[in-house]
Amino acid sequence: MKQLSVVSFPRRRGLALQSILLTVDLLRIRALAVRREWSSSTIHVAALTAGATLFCLIYLGTYLGVHALWQAGAIGLLSTVPPWALLIYLLTDVVIAFGQALGDLYASRDIPLLMTMPIRVPALITSKFVLGVVQNELYAAVFLLPFVLGYLSALEAPWIAYPVMMIGVAVFPAILYAALVVVTILALRVVPARLAKESLWLIGAVVPTAFWITMFYRIAHITGDVTVMSLPTPPGWLPSTWLGWALAAFGGASPGGVGAGVGWTGLLLFETFAVCPPALWLVSYAFARGWSDSFATGAAKSVDSLSAISPRRSGLRALVHKDLLTFVRTPQLWFNHIGALMFVVYLLVGHAVQTPIFPLTIQLAMVQIGFVAILGSITPGMTALSLEHAGIWFLRSAPLASRDVLNAKLLVPFAQTGTIAAIGGALLSAGYGFPIGWRIIVVAFGILMAACSVSFGVAFDTRFPSFAWENPNAINRGPRMVIPFLNGLAMLIICCGFLFLTRDEWPGVTGLVAGIAISVVFTALMVWQTLVRASRNLQDLEV
Amino acid sequence: MSAPLIDVSRLQKRFDKTVAVNSISFTVEAGEIFGFLGPNGAGKTTTIKMLTGLLRPTSGRALLGGFDVVRRPEAAKRLFGYVPDEPNLYPKLTAVEFLNFVGDIYGLDLSRKRSRIAELLDLFELRANDGELLEAYSHGMKQKVALCAALLHEPRIYFLDEPTVGLDPKSARLLKDILRAVTRAGCAVMMSTHIMEIAQSLCDRVAIINRGSIAAMGTVQELRDLQGDATLEDVFLHVTGGKADAAVDSRLTNFVAGRR
Repeated sequence: MKQLSVVSFPRRRGLALQSILLTVDLLRIRALAVRREWSSSTIHVAALTAGATLFCLIYLGTYLGVHALWQAGAIGLLSTVPPWALLIYLLTDVVIAFGQALGDLYASRDIPLLMTMPIRVPALITSKFVLGVVQNELYAAVFLLPFVLGYLSALEAPWIAYPVMMIGVAVFPAILYAALVVVTILALRVVPARLAKESLWLIGAVVPTAFWITMFYRIAHITGDVTVMSLPTPPGWLPSTWLGWALAAFGGASPGGVGAGVGWTGLLLFETFAVCPPALWLVSYAFARGWSDSFATGAAKSVDSLSAISPRRSGLRALVHKDLLTFVRTPQLWFNHIGALMFVVYLLVGHAVQTPIFPLTIQLAMVQIGFVAILGSITPGMTALSLEHAGIWFLRSAPLASRDVLNAKLLVPFAQTGTIAAIGGALLSAGYGFPIGWRIIVVAFGILMAACSVSFGVAFDTRFPSFAWENPNAINRGPRMVIPFLNGLAMLIICCGFLFLTRDEWPGVTGLVAGIAISVVFTALMVWQTLVRASRNLQDLEV
Repeated sequence: MSAPLIDVSRLQKRFDKTVAVNSISFTVEAGEIFGFLGPNGAGKTTTIKMLTGLLRPTSGRALLGGFDVVRRPEAAKRLFGYVPDEPNLYPKLTAVEFLNFVGDIYGLDLSRKRSRIAELLDLFELRANDGELLEAYSHGMKQKVALCAALLHEPRIYFLDEPTVGLDPKSARLLKDILRAVTRAGCAVMMSTHIMEIAQSLCDRVAIINRGSIAAMGTVQELRDLQGDATLEDVFLHVTGGKADAAVDSRLTNFVAGRR
């Protein structure tokens, strides 16, 4: 049979050119989508301010911490902290990147359309890979870059260190993402995508958690004077360790100086450019073959499904039950809590290192658990209403009072975060060896900050909900994550001010009680204000 | 004569400077199927969204069974069942769990919920898959679940936005039979559709909305008489200004010829 002429289609282009053109197009579409999602200029300003604030806070915290270690003569710690800090970033990235790799390829909404276009699979994979790396570059710019700059400036590193380390920070997410995309896509050749969506997230949580605990267990057992103390050497085959060693060398905290710094960064660059092309080839090969299999569905389960019908529940209880089912069946929503508990472990193991510099008091422990509570509230509060997804039409057209909807949207996140704050507070105060009264105070303060942070998150989510997400972790990206997080942080800083001022003014129990009382009153007022606003937002919600 | 179940008076919706629905008025009586026709973007879905509480009207009034949808939303919402244009359901629930949730929201007791859910799942042939999460359902299956949800609490009023899209012919036929049965029982149905055959065969009265305003309204025969017993499609094209004329024909011919 005669083949049809294809002259009406664009001429075939080389793979590299096709990849570049597609990448530029997809990046432009993504940028437009981000800009149009936040149509309010106030939000743009608020988001930029929030991002800049976060950047400055990390920079300042690192600068002060490194400066304090330098003045204390803790050279051992200064040389070993960078690889560990980068390892923490790497582990966090593992949790995110597993889901991101899945979301960018198999679960991405535009893939079915792109797969029907005359685009070669390697070009498609390359474009999606670049998009994933760009996303991670943003995280690196906000979280990693200020740490690196703070470290270098506190140790008065030479000027050459800055451009070299910035190149290293820019390249770092690419090598991480390449490795994780390969693992994800190969795993999808074994596990069907429909099941992997959940199971990969679990693996993504379990692997770094186990690694994290094993590594930090070693830190927990270091003892001695701060001037001779140093952290155990992290695995030398990890790129995070190379970049950490480069940073320490540039700062003059480890031998080798600038030469060693350039050498380690060069190794990272070489590895990245050596690893990425074969990784992309492998992913393209596996994806082209695995794509059609991913539509396979399992056999229907033969269960008595009608047994799920329950005695009559009130609207509030029905909503709470529905949201709890969603939470239990969506492992992506668990990571926030896992991350918060990891931070408790981090605080406990850092106790030995931190105490000589910052003496441990109950107020410090309260601030620490307050931060854990805010960290644990990031996803539950800010996604409370958005989790309705495109099914929000049902909630709005159902005969439900706005009050019931608001109560349900507060109860479920608070049940999660409050529980985590309570467990974290109990673990932390027990680890610190506090008496029972102090333990109760630490737990209660954690719960208080959880309530505050959740109410901020819910108020924000009811004002700027996002019902068009592809996976739940995509809801709280960008301003949606940063603004309520900084709100919670501001509340914690204010409470922290009350606690420390009253401690200095009235030492002992009186100061403690006064600090707590003022914090409770202030927090309650803020929560009340926030809830009034959230209630109004819900009444005005249009979908 | 009893009061209409749906009573819409000078309803308007603006989105900034755009008037999506411009002061429309109509009523739907008990026992009546009211078809809402119009080209894409004419304001059909916006109107239904205002009547179901998803959007707040900029001005005007809408009464459902005598209850104002803005002032007495809960009372008004108890009266209707709604099927949206896109059947987006909670992906992490099974069909039975979703319908159980819907039953709770509408205050159905256990025995009524159990019998209604089983009956509806059987009717729409969903029993084989009712234990699977809704995220695994096809578009048509989700549409059936959305229809089950709308029918579950036996409402007096039905709002259906393109209800037959995605349904197989057997289910579409079933839906038509159900709608005829519920109107015989004294319910009111308001449905939007693009399928003229459905409007012609099913609806007692039809309104054609164009650019936010009602351009024509009446029984199907009354509308056909406007154009000298033309088909409903001809009337629709005439009223909405979309009739294919010679210029369009010529452009189409050139477009196709240019591709060869």
